[in-house]
Amino acid sequence: MQTNILRDVIGNGINEKFHDDSPDEKLIGLLLNENDQKAIEEIFNRYVDKVYGIALGISRDPNSAEDIIQDVFLTLIEKIDTFQGRAKFSTWLYRVTVNASYMYLRAEKKHESDYSLENYVPYDENGTLIGRIKDKEWSSRPDILNFSKEAMEILDTAINELPETYRIVCQLRDVNELSYEEISEILGISSGAVKSRLHRARLYLRDKISDYFYEWRQNK
Amino acid sequence: MFICKDVVEKIMGYIDAELGGKTLVELENHLYNCPECDAFVRTYRKMLVLAGKLRANGFVTILFRNRLKTFLLSRLNAK
Repeated sequence: MQTNILRDVIGNGINEKFHDDSPDEKLIGLLLNENDQKAIEEIFNRYVDKVYGIALGISRDPNSAEDIIQDVFLTLIEKIDTFQGRAKFSTWLYRVTVNASYMYLRAEKKHESDYSLENYVPYDENGTLIGRIKDKEWSSRPDILNFSKEAMEILDTAINELPETYRIVCQLRDVNELSYEEISEILGISSGAVKSRLHRARLYLRDKISDYFYEWRQNK
Repeated sequence: MFICKDVVEKIMGYIDAELGGKTLVELENHLYNCPECDAFVRTYRKMLVLAGKLRANGFVTILFRNRLKTFLLSRLNAK
């Protein structure tokens, strides 16, 4: 609020038609009706990092993610009239981002062979856990929990190894922290399908991470 | 009577605090008595904490941010 008052007092070139906490839809209205420069700047500032995070999560390449977010914001400027207000603006923008990222993967022929994890389970036919989970336990190790560079690289590598359809769900929920409902709308699948993919992705990821951390500790 | 498989298949509900009543009690009883499942849940939770930290990698550089903003404003003005 103080920022808003300051802006009003010193002028500062800030548009008086909206404030820091104005809803996205108000900014979109200004963009649509008036091509308002300050409105697009505010939207850009609110979303550029989130859009980049999603693009990076799918493309796995910082340079590609930069290309993708440029396309996304150009789409915002040129095709905002296709936003019909049925979903939240953020959901629309994230959907544009996901589609642009997949288009990039296809254009670069980086589309990965996808395989199903639907039958991936960490227990045997008797329903008993397998994989020496307690022996490989790492959840209280300070070298991992201090988010060392190596530990974060291991996690990133493990996420990279997820099949694409599972990785995107994991990325949107566990890294970008979107709700199940938002992810469902963005990907055009049911919330149940989102949860199902996320469940298998996490089981696979937990096993991979445990194996990698175990090997890492053995080699240290 | 819960078995390890039940813990695995209900862990999302457990983490999201959606379980209640008898299911929650049985699951936690199983965790108390099963070191493997206890380790499973602890590492699962920590994995989610670590994944959340990866978000810090997803920020654009100031240089690119400014360049892109300038480019977008020029496109908007050209409309």
